[in-house]
Amino acid sequence: MNRIFKIGIFDEEEKFISSIKSLQEKDFNIQDVFTPYPVHEVFHLLKRKSRLPAAAYFMGLAAILATLAFLYYTAVIDWPVVYGGKPVNSFPSFIIITIVLTILTITIGSLAVFSVRSKLLPGRDNTIFDHRATDDKFVIVVNTGKLDIPAADKAENIMKELGAIEIIDKEFENVNA
Amino acid sequence: MYNSKIRGPLIEGNKSLGQITREVVAPLETKSGRWWTVALGLSSLATIYGIYAVYITVYKGIGTWGVNNSVGWGWEIINFVWWIGIGHAGTAFSIFLLILRQRWRTSINRSAEAMTVFAVLCAAIMPALHMGRIWLAFYIFPYPNTRGPLWVNFNSPLFWDFTAITAYLLISVSFWYLGMLPDLATIRDKTISKIRKALYGFFSMGWTGSSRQWIRFESLSFILGGIAAVLVVSVHSIVSTDFAVGVEPGWHTTIFPPFFVVGAIFSGFAMVMTLMVLIRKIYRLTDYITDNHMDAIARILIFISLIMGTAYLTEIFVAWYSGNKYEMFTFFHNRITGDYKIQFWGMIACNALIPQLFWFRKMRRNWIALLSVSLLINLGMWLERYTIIVTSLSKDFLPSNWVSYTPTFIDVGVFVGTIGLFATGVLLFMRYIPMMAISELKGVVHIGSKKED
Repeated sequence: MNRIFKIGIFDEEEKFISSIKSLQEKDFNIQDVFTPYPVHEVFHLLKRKSRLPAAAYFMGLAAILATLAFLYYTAVIDWPVVYGGKPVNSFPSFIIITIVLTILTITIGSLAVFSVRSKLLPGRDNTIFDHRATDDKFVIVVNTGKLDIPAADKAENIMKELGAIEIIDKEFENVNA
Repeated sequence: MYNSKIRGPLIEGNKSLGQITREVVAPLETKSGRWWTVALGLSSLATIYGIYAVYITVYKGIGTWGVNNSVGWGWEIINFVWWIGIGHAGTAFSIFLLILRQRWRTSINRSAEAMTVFAVLCAAIMPALHMGRIWLAFYIFPYPNTRGPLWVNFNSPLFWDFTAITAYLLISVSFWYLGMLPDLATIRDKTISKIRKALYGFFSMGWTGSSRQWIRFESLSFILGGIAAVLVVSVHSIVSTDFAVGVEPGWHTTIFPPFFVVGAIFSGFAMVMTLMVLIRKIYRLTDYITDNHMDAIARILIFISLIMGTAYLTEIFVAWYSGNKYEMFTFFHNRITGDYKIQFWGMIACNALIPQLFWFRKMRRNWIALLSVSLLINLGMWLERYTIIVTSLSKDFLPSNWVSYTPTFIDVGVFVGTIGLFATGVLLFMRYIPMMAISELKGVVHIGSKKED
């Protein structure tokens, strides 16, 4: 079954925000909103949260333990060499490599998690509801698939009243977003 | 957060969002000027000279360089430290200022990060060549091998350096590319050309600007910014331990890590200044990179210059105060006076004295002054590395070891080649990647402008 959307285009941030608010009050199903730059109020309204910091924390923890274990294994267990009369387990000088590798692991790891969770991969073809969203327009996409025509028109009217410059009806066979 | 009532608007000219897109993307869509082709030709020539020098180095060995038994480190290590220093522009500018919530960074961070990537690439060439047998470079990786397995020495600053620089390069590239995603998508959605649409579409990885993507994008920027901020301090501290752990007079001091870090940020900012003056002039982007931006960089440069001056004086004072005659000799008879006094005084003049001109507002607002002082600072930073490396090595504890050092044609070639590579990279960047973070500019467009008052 095709999926049907009403797409409201706004050119001012304030009007766009108030539209989201009143659409939410009327319990419309907002598929997602698209903006040219991050708008923090949107995150609060749509209750968007990111658990990336937690993921990064655990990756860092794992990296610290793995690096220290590896250094201990190579320098103490596998092939101990005494350099300049210092103990083989010269922990302070292991710290530097541990820090660097931890930072590297967090970077690469959280990038990977980011790209999987946000569905961003080279050549990926995510659905673009309106191509002006990356330029200068704020776009609200309301999922009207399960609504009858008068209810869908109500969503259109709300957005129109609050200053949408254009409302578009679109159908997609499947949505990647 | 940032309150800019005193400093004026971050972006001048009351731009609309669409206007920002058009103006920043314009250099990519229009034909490049003749200057661009000429500059690319010149930098390619320099790169070819560099490739020749590298070929000779690899084919015949590092005996073709000016280094000898006493001065075992010459131009290549000087250039390595110099390039890594310049490579601090990206971390210092975009990451430090990101976590300090300094939003004036938005017009500049993209170019600063680009410079970082190219400068670190240039830097990485130097120690790789210095290994001598570059085809055995993989020995430095700690992997289970048939030689024992014999592991690398994890206590060695040279190995730390290798780890730090590899990590720094990967992290800088990741951070740079991440910031670029929304802008590549902007070009994909804006352009009419089919090839561009396909190309930028591929590289923008399906960015749509949805709230789900934005929140993760912001969160990831702060994670990467927060952890990579450590790199501002760590990378050059580790480079400095290459020296500080040695026993040579003039190297064996605890001041080295902070001294090197500050010096690196100094040359990074100076290089950003050079590039910004040129970009402003050539592309007429003065509404985005305003006089206030240049003013802010100039103020930072005075501040760092004072730290540099203090560090130089501290080194000299400690050499005297320690009562160590080798230190005394190195500083007073081999640097301040003696064979290398020109390099020493050049360093003092370029790094500690000339930047003081920026105390005058007129100087901070004059593009010729900004350009020439920033170039002089980078010359001064090169001289500083020359002074540190060559003076200490050329006259150490035993007079029978004393030699003088001159670079060869091949040394010069490797250096000129990296400058060519850097310039080529920057020119291609200007042509094919938006020079400013468009989405970030849109986020700050109202800050400090009349609309918000």
